[in-house]
Amino acid sequence: MEELRSETDMVQYLGKELVSCMKCHLCNTVCPVCDPRVSQGPYGMNRSIYYALKWESFNEHLRDIVYSCSTCGKCVEKCKAVSRALPLIDIIETARELLLVEKMQGPMPEQTNVLKNMHVRGNPWGYPSHERTQWAQDLDIPLTSEAHDMEVLYFVGCASSYDPQAQKIAKNLSRILKAANVKFGISKEEVCSGSEARRMGEPGLFQYLSEINSNIFDETGNKPIITGDPHSYYTFTREYPGKDHLEIYHYTQFLNTLLDKEQLKLSSRIEKRVTYHDPCYLGRRGGIFDEPRRLINRIPGIDLVEMEHHHEDSDCCGMGGGRMWMEPPEGFLPSQMISKRRVEQAIATTSEILLTACPFCNISLNDAVKDLGKEDDLKVMDITELIIMAL
Amino acid sequence: MNKNVGEIIEDLVSLVGKPHVGSDIFERINYADTSLPYDVEKTDLPDVVVHPADSREISEILKYANQNEIPVTTYGSGTSLIFGTKPKHKGISLSTERLQHFKIDEHHQWFEAGAGVKTGYATTELGKLGYFLPIQTQAGSTIGGAVSVNTLGHLTDNVFGRPVNNVLGLEVVLPTGEIIETGSKCLRRPAGWDLARTFIGAEGVLGIITRVRMILMPMPQTVDLVGFYNKTEEIGQFVQAMYEKRVPLPMDGELVGEKACQVGYEAYGLNFPKGALCVIKAMGYTQEEALRNGNILVELMKEVGATQSYILEDEKIKHQIWGVRENAMRWGQEKVLKGYLAIELNPVLPRLPDAIHELEHITENRSGLIGETESYLYGHVGSDSLHCLFAFPFDWDREKMKRVVDEIWNLEMELQLKYEGVGGDWGWLPYRVPFYRKKYGEVSYQIIKKMKALFDPHNILNRGNIEGEV
Repeated sequence: MEELRSETDMVQYLGKELVSCMKCHLCNTVCPVCDPRVSQGPYGMNRSIYYALKWESFNEHLRDIVYSCSTCGKCVEKCKAVSRALPLIDIIETARELLLVEKMQGPMPEQTNVLKNMHVRGNPWGYPSHERTQWAQDLDIPLTSEAHDMEVLYFVGCASSYDPQAQKIAKNLSRILKAANVKFGISKEEVCSGSEARRMGEPGLFQYLSEINSNIFDETGNKPIITGDPHSYYTFTREYPGKDHLEIYHYTQFLNTLLDKEQLKLSSRIEKRVTYHDPCYLGRRGGIFDEPRRLINRIPGIDLVEMEHHHEDSDCCGMGGGRMWMEPPEGFLPSQMISKRRVEQAIATTSEILLTACPFCNISLNDAVKDLGKEDDLKVMDITELIIMAL
Repeated sequence: MNKNVGEIIEDLVSLVGKPHVGSDIFERINYADTSLPYDVEKTDLPDVVVHPADSREISEILKYANQNEIPVTTYGSGTSLIFGTKPKHKGISLSTERLQHFKIDEHHQWFEAGAGVKTGYATTELGKLGYFLPIQTQAGSTIGGAVSVNTLGHLTDNVFGRPVNNVLGLEVVLPTGEIIETGSKCLRRPAGWDLARTFIGAEGVLGIITRVRMILMPMPQTVDLVGFYNKTEEIGQFVQAMYEKRVPLPMDGELVGEKACQVGYEAYGLNFPKGALCVIKAMGYTQEEALRNGNILVELMKEVGATQSYILEDEKIKHQIWGVRENAMRWGQEKVLKGYLAIELNPVLPRLPDAIHELEHITENRSGLIGETESYLYGHVGSDSLHCLFAFPFDWDREKMKRVVDEIWNLEMELQLKYEGVGGDWGWLPYRVPFYRKKYGEVSYQIIKKMKALFDPHNILNRGNIEGEV
């Protein structure tokens, strides 16, 4: 098990990295939450942390600044391309850990219960753990305990297990896998991947949750795992203990292989103009840009167009980094503004459908379309919904 | 100041609303810190940061500050390399970040931008309609800041003109609170008196520019080309030839000195010819014209010392070449030197090669702290600003850092005077005040001080900048 960092380790790490910032401000130019204050972008966050350490000053406003980051990683790419290549997200996450664990200043007030729910109930919303697989009722989906010939473990994730809107993703993906005769199973014991706990500065909770899930992976014979949740995909492939021995797929990768093997066929034409939103944890952070596009383009009749910002340059929906469960304080950019801006980019493409491959993005972009009163012009869908239509 | 900090905060809240007044230490730090290599002290922080929504609110704030003699320092995005946004006398930091009005009017053939609009944003939005922003400062800088400094960034002055040539009109709030309109809405700037020209380049000491109206300039077509040279000063000879032979001038270009190239090549594992490089964007109204002009520059490079020169057709190579220049902010890191400061030198054309040669070897056999630094030369081709980046250990104590900064600034002044330069990219105030006084003399300096006193009788606005305080 990874050892938790001491306060000294964290302070030393932050000091070493932050001193490298040459204060060019270019990170702020791409940050989705930096609007308009300089203090709210990655530059302001890192300067605030730097001086907090220097002057031993930690307060709620520092917490608000540090927790406003959506951890989308766009600043990291910018800094890598034209400045000093600072690991800005690692800096933010370390600062959150320091604030939460050592300084009693984190997380944001609304996130306290979220972390507690993850610990007690295994999901951020506090739904009873025995309801985790209720979405699968009547769908004849085998549980891992029953599926002896299981070839693939489907890690559903919390949002798709509990959120009524996101459950559609789990149901559709299951139908697609069944259509392709994939022998898969889901686990009743599955808990939150812990990704968001880590983002919020709770590595201890992350470890606790990752151990539970890792045990499930072990008990099921370390079968290939597919997930529809980019946050889980990211943490499984980058942060989980034993990550090097796990075979992890986001469903966009997996479905492409099924299509390659002709195990899955898409026969219905869908004459629609669509655009695709890269979820931050699948694209920029997870490195998967082509597979979702390849999958979409395999649907007969589809016309895929790109938004102004796409691939590495894609914009965030505003829900990552724990922002799903907090409303930024007065003076900070509300999450709805971030998702509305993204939807406006989609509207500018004149697409009928805005596709994505993440339950968080799906929820926030759907809400933004409603807020903008554009439900008749633009539908937000997970790619699985379109695949179902094309079967 | 006739008010205490608590009263000022309360009064500002009543003027602009609570969410737009920041008094927390972390807000104040962010509006005081600069790219200077040493940290700010608590005594450098403003008492309060205010974020007005429009010129009316700015007017109210300045009337209030003027009445109570409270210093106000204007903050655009804090990218000034001359440190005008750093408060020198505490008081109020007034941010223009909320002035985000942006309108492109193709019927009138101009666009208007609030002072807080970023140049990167304006470039993108104008580009969507086929227009070009003739200010190419770094993407995070503001229109208000660039026009206040009258800088066009790296673009060739002789091609595009400065903001003073391209701005049609300004809205300005005076330090005493009056809002004035200057300039025109037609496509001709006024002949004769035009107050817009008084504020453009005044570096914010005469008033706060709140809105800018600029001509719409059609997007030029460009072709990139590169030349490799054994010695960096040969690039200076090429630039001289470019002007003397009256070839079509480029949009902009960059030179990267020998040591800087070596670091860039090693960092990216590139196998370009040893020595210095010059990368240029040739331009034209059409792609054919740009290519034709690019080929003329390629041939000229070959005539004037380039070991190799060619049009950058391969996107990968183009990316690598520009990457060597964009790597500038990491120079020094290969030797674990993270403290840094850059200077600017704009030599007269006949002495450009000499200046390049001197800068390329500036730290060699030099005594003092500069002798302990590593220097890296780069610069702009066409607009002919040479920059030299000095890298030094980040763990030098504050006093040592301040001493090296002073040495470097003195060196810059010495070189500017020697090569008859001006501050072509960044402006004068505050750190180049000694240079201004030496270059233009006390009479000139007193004129700008008297102008300041005329507009700002209580010296509330950006106090300390014209006095040369950093």
